[in-house]
Amino acid sequence: MQRRDRFALLVILAILLVLPSFLLGYQVWRQQPTAAGIRIVNIAARVPEQGGFSPDRLTLRAGETVRLRISSPDVVHGLTIPGLGVNVDEIYPGTVVEVDVTPDKPGRYAFACTRWCGVDHWRMRGVIEVTGLTPRPPSLPGKGVGERSPLAGEGAGGMLTSAGGDVPLYQQLGIDIDAMRHAAQVTPATRPSIGVGAELNAALPPELADPARRRTRTPAGAFQTLRADLANAALSDDDVWSLVAWAWLKDVKPAALARGQTLYARDCAACHGPDGKGKGPAGVNLPGMAKMEPVMPKGPSDFTDAGAMLAASDALLQGKLLRGGMGTGMPEFGALYSDEEQWAMIAYLRTFLFGK
Amino acid sequence: MRWAISDTPWVNRLLRGRWLQWGITVLTLAVFVVVILTGLLGTPAGNHNFGIIYVWLVWWALLKLVLVPLLGRFWCSVCPIPAPGDWLQRRSILIARPGGKLYTCATRLFRKAARGRPRPWPRFLRNIWAQNFGFLAVALFSALILTSPLVTALTLILFIVVSLAVSLLFERKSFCRYLCPIGGFVGVYGQVAPLAVRVKDPAVCATHTQKSCYVGSDAGYGCPYFNLPARLETNTLCSMCGECLRTCNRDNVAFYIQMPGTDLLNTRGRRLDEAFNGLMMLAAAFVYSVVLIGPDGWLKATARAVGAPSWFAYAAVLLLFSAVLTPGLFWLCVRFGQLLGGDGEPAPGKTAGRGSKHATLFAGYAIALVPLGLAIWIAFTLSFTLTNVSYAWPALSDPFGWGWDLFGTANMAWTPYLTGMISYLQIPVLLVGLATAVALTLRTARQHGQRPAAALPVSAFCTLAVVALLTLYMA
Repeated sequence: MQRRDRFALLVILAILLVLPSFLLGYQVWRQQPTAAGIRIVNIAARVPEQGGFSPDRLTLRAGETVRLRISSPDVVHGLTIPGLGVNVDEIYPGTVVEVDVTPDKPGRYAFACTRWCGVDHWRMRGVIEVTGLTPRPPSLPGKGVGERSPLAGEGAGGMLTSAGGDVPLYQQLGIDIDAMRHAAQVTPATRPSIGVGAELNAALPPELADPARRRTRTPAGAFQTLRADLANAALSDDDVWSLVAWAWLKDVKPAALARGQTLYARDCAACHGPDGKGKGPAGVNLPGMAKMEPVMPKGPSDFTDAGAMLAASDALLQGKLLRGGMGTGMPEFGALYSDEEQWAMIAYLRTFLFGK
Repeated sequence: MRWAISDTPWVNRLLRGRWLQWGITVLTLAVFVVVILTGLLGTPAGNHNFGIIYVWLVWWALLKLVLVPLLGRFWCSVCPIPAPGDWLQRRSILIARPGGKLYTCATRLFRKAARGRPRPWPRFLRNIWAQNFGFLAVALFSALILTSPLVTALTLILFIVVSLAVSLLFERKSFCRYLCPIGGFVGVYGQVAPLAVRVKDPAVCATHTQKSCYVGSDAGYGCPYFNLPARLETNTLCSMCGECLRTCNRDNVAFYIQMPGTDLLNTRGRRLDEAFNGLMMLAAAFVYSVVLIGPDGWLKATARAVGAPSWFAYAAVLLLFSAVLTPGLFWLCVRFGQLLGGDGEPAPGKTAGRGSKHATLFAGYAIALVPLGLAIWIAFTLSFTLTNVSYAWPALSDPFGWGWDLFGTANMAWTPYLTGMISYLQIPVLLVGLATAVALTLRTARQHGQRPAAALPVSAFCTLAVVALLTLYMA
């Protein structure tokens, strides 16, 4: 073989062997911990029908900084890890988003997709388990050493508390959120106004003045209480309803309402519609609708339906929000919302009926 | 009127040497390797995968907008797919074997006992029908191939395996000459190109009994495409690899720059398989325009759902439209032209009946589809290339979609280029293609001894095609 041919053969072998080795070697090198000791964790976000997050269970060590490399092979996804303050709005197919997280407290942190990526979007969840100890090597079975806390999943700002943690209000009250449809006996003729209610300068009974106690009451029940109060005898029914509206939202800060609105747009509007009327495109033909009790509403709840909403206490709405289900396609959000976010969301839902 | 570019000393040296062709092939091979790797291992998101972007956007645009219109079938001589088989047959890469000897399994390729002559390519397949049907077969899956990096990679691997197997069994570049679905239409449309390899003086060839251009010599190999350069009248079957330039010891072969479309001027003695290729490609351009860049997402989804009942319906429509309806309509136009302008004179040396006459006219008029089809493909290619070619920048820096940034271009946003200009580019291209096609139909009528009125139906067919496509693009 002449020298020219030997050279040509070497070049071709380099292309066939060295080029692939270089490319794949570069990727292997990129997977190694950085100079600062940051560990790399790849997360592939696929539509739930194709497996959702992979992996959907991670074990990290408290105080350890980990770089999450999140990619999507199919459609646009998002990622939120509420307990760790991570919010990635868009993960476009074929791109990689990097996020560094440093969990400082052991516990279990939920993460979820925040974009309506498919009909089963709400199933696209995962859990990060943060231990105080060194994680078990990947070659060994199990997720990691240390006590694993059972999933309870109620309102800890994305941090899944153990079963012995705070019991949510609806459970404390023993509310059966799977009970049949609730309907108010009385409803307002016009849209109640918070502003009008505030101007009335009326005194509220303790069970309505105290937010904690008010959450156990229904607005319809509150109306009847206020209506029966002789101090309000001079007020019209519309005024009393405005008083109820004011009672419900007077303590809610604008920032909380804004947060509720953001979460609603992100998590609820696709099914319940941006106007709250239950006509969102993702709420059409929900699986299981045909098998539901005939008396149950067919489709996502209409938050402008005074009969249903005024007969629901905040505690009942909290239960539905946290646990979901009820024989409908309602997802559970307990793993994703903090206490503040739950009440902010519920306050925002009230604004579909209570105007300014 | 033509200019022998290879008579310029430095161009001659460049073309006779093997470094240029080898260098470009090595480059395309490297790209090919990356395409296969990214297809197999990279992101399935086509717009961020090197394989999809650099094959179906960059390479396709280069092929349709630059290489074929200007250099004819030159791509075939630097294509990486037949290269391994070629090197194996030659048992060398840059050096010509003594006597231009080639090796196959039948001729001691692996140093086993010789068992005979190289196996000849089956006679019934010595045409481009297999390429035509191969293209249709690929077209059935094209919505998937064009968008799925994995399927693209598997398709290319299949091509290279088949090419290698053919090279081991049959002599020369039989795969490229008779099987490659791309080679078929590249050859047909390559007739428009101004670059051509031709003999300088046919009389010299007539007295040259060695035919080193065909059998090979110490200077190089016999024509890989089984051509006798003295008989080359068009670019259809010439990859411009330069072997004949190297092996002709009478310096009677040259690379010419000629008027674009010179190859199309003779409409007699044309082949039916090439005519069918022109019709099939025309139909495919329509189908692709509707399915791939049209507004109906369900059509694209149907074309991608390979194996589903709806896909079988799509496949049936595609095959019916490409292989039956379009050729059938064209045949009716030719027959109607015969009614208007007479049957004309029989082809030289042919005394056969009406069937043969129809076929001759059919193939002759199909020449008009070469400039028209190329114009339509250029218009089609412009529409998606200018819109999407900016994906090439991120794919260069992040070929696998793994979050790399090799050249600092990974985060360059998708930016459609000159979108406001696309129509202004498409319309003149289509009109030039149509004008050339109509002129060729008139020439065909004249060359076949028909009255000019015979050209009317085929001209109307061409006009209808352009109007339909313009309506589609403008909509």
